[in-house]
Amino acid sequence: MSAQYTVTATREAEASGAVGLAIASLPASFGPAATGDDATVAAIDGTSGWTTEAIRAIDGGASGVVVVNPVPENTAALRDAAETARAAVVLDQRWASNPGLAGAEDAVRSVAGRAAMLDTVATAAAGTDPERLLTEHLAAVVRVTGQLDALRVLRRGSHGYTASARLANGAPVSLQGVLSDSRPAGVDFRLYTDDGGVSIAVPEPLAAWPAEVRAIGPQGEILLPTIYESAHRTTWRRLKEHLDAGTTSSDLAGFARLTESIAHLS
Amino acid sequence: MSSQSQATPLGSLKPLGVGILGAGPVTQAIHLPSLARLRDILEVRHIMDVDASVAESVAARVGATHSTSLDALLGDPDVDIVAICSPHQFHADQVIAACRAGKKAVLCEKPFAMSGEEAARISAVSEETGVPIIVGAMHTFDPGWLAAEANWGDLPRTAHTIRSSIVLPPNARFEDFATEIITRPAGGTPDYNDVEVIKNALRGGIMGLAIHDLPLVRRFTPDFEDLEVLQARHVRPFGYVISLRAGNQIIELRAAMNSTWKPEWVFEAISDDAALRIDFTPSYVQAGSAVATVTTGTTSTTFGPYEHNGYEGEWRELAQLARGTKQPPSAESLINDLTFALSIADATVDVAAAEFAGARS
Repeated sequence: MSAQYTVTATREAEASGAVGLAIASLPASFGPAATGDDATVAAIDGTSGWTTEAIRAIDGGASGVVVVNPVPENTAALRDAAETARAAVVLDQRWASNPGLAGAEDAVRSVAGRAAMLDTVATAAAGTDPERLLTEHLAAVVRVTGQLDALRVLRRGSHGYTASARLANGAPVSLQGVLSDSRPAGVDFRLYTDDGGVSIAVPEPLAAWPAEVRAIGPQGEILLPTIYESAHRTTWRRLKEHLDAGTTSSDLAGFARLTESIAHLS
Repeated sequence: MSSQSQATPLGSLKPLGVGILGAGPVTQAIHLPSLARLRDILEVRHIMDVDASVAESVAARVGATHSTSLDALLGDPDVDIVAICSPHQFHADQVIAACRAGKKAVLCEKPFAMSGEEAARISAVSEETGVPIIVGAMHTFDPGWLAAEANWGDLPRTAHTIRSSIVLPPNARFEDFATEIITRPAGGTPDYNDVEVIKNALRGGIMGLAIHDLPLVRRFTPDFEDLEVLQARHVRPFGYVISLRAGNQIIELRAAMNSTWKPEWVFEAISDDAALRIDFTPSYVQAGSAVATVTTGTTSTTFGPYEHNGYEGEWRELAQLARGTKQPPSAESLINDLTFALSIADATVDVAAAEFAGARS
């Protein structure tokens, strides 16, 4: 069976989003566009100017756009363009797109009212831009907690950052970024309640390492089912669902809220 | 603090006599079970508590003499080593009295004083009498920590981030796994709307819980006197979120004591190209040592677990100090540990009060 949707990817998107690998693992759904042909889907990297590039792809006829690791940017014009063209724009975010976070959202939501503290640490290689790390970190956090109150950066530097916030019930939140080559890159969440909590370890999307989500309560500790699918592949599956159904994505609206939060930090 | 004893090998002599001031849960559930594992070198001979029935009951468990007065214990010639497990405010005077009584070694539960002045007085008396003193910072005696120390290379100089995270159930859960406790302090119902309650909880959290690992943190904080509190927040019902900058190092302290069954006690030091992680076992239970992992680049080496924990380690150290087979820690080191903890406590409560006001506005 030939692929339903053809794909082009910029060199940068291929490097950051492993586009070739992701679509090769969905061969009935996606395939590379022949040279010179218009593609159904454009994959672009999320460096500065990505919204303009995405609009250009939609104007060029793409009905789907995958943006890999987008940096904060005003998405209003892109949202309008996508809505008008009925194009689906999905974001492939380093940690927030991990498929394990769907279960984590439910686990966190069920205990959020009893939360006493959220302690979360993002680790990335030494030399990583801490601003970019904070964006990726915060995107993953708000996916499971919803919007944070009183978010502020306490310090940032070449070795990382510390930010504080509050959950909806007033419980303290601490977000720490650590830059080191000797700690596995990823995000660690620890939400503590009066009698347990939820722990979440989100790995890099470089491989199909599963996120580990554990719900701890008086009855013991439950490891939620592990999903051996990278954030990249999950993103492409989500895009296929939108393309099949002819629906647009809510990713941009969520990212607009994240961008606004980041803007208030600066 | 120097030792006055002649060197003699352990295990070839009559056990040293131990006297314990204060027979509360820590003595019952931590020290007596630890000493029960060391009967060939240490023997509990005197238990003192202001509550005569508690002193008598706890002493009877180990066949020791009991009393209700400091002087009676210090005057007991069978007591070679004094352990001070009384409330914090009595520590300094009791350490000094034990030194003046000519005992062979003193263990003082943390904190060993409540001010720099008290610490200096202790140091002077120890110097004058030659009685070695150690503070019960048990993790510094944990074989997992000691193995890490022997293998962490230049990490104390290069680490840029230090984290201490402590999650514990109420003490009673582990006390009851360790012994059969008599008498527990009564708990209260704090009013979290009172800023003084929050400040006292933070100070208690630092001087009662964080202090376990602050000597570890200080090992990785050369500029510990250059301290800035970035945030200090109370966690209900008991805990804290504290972020500090000390020189070029960032220190993150987290604690949550709740009704969980799952303890986590983790210390980390991280540089650009190396990292240390130590998972400590919970207090009270004899669950062996911490496990330390030293990572250089992407290669990790794990040390432990070993068979005994830091509490047993500190008693082994005390026996060696009393025999004169080991040198005690420097007075400067103990005083610096205390000063570091007090500085954090003082600075933290002020910031916490401001955070409290901000959260309510």
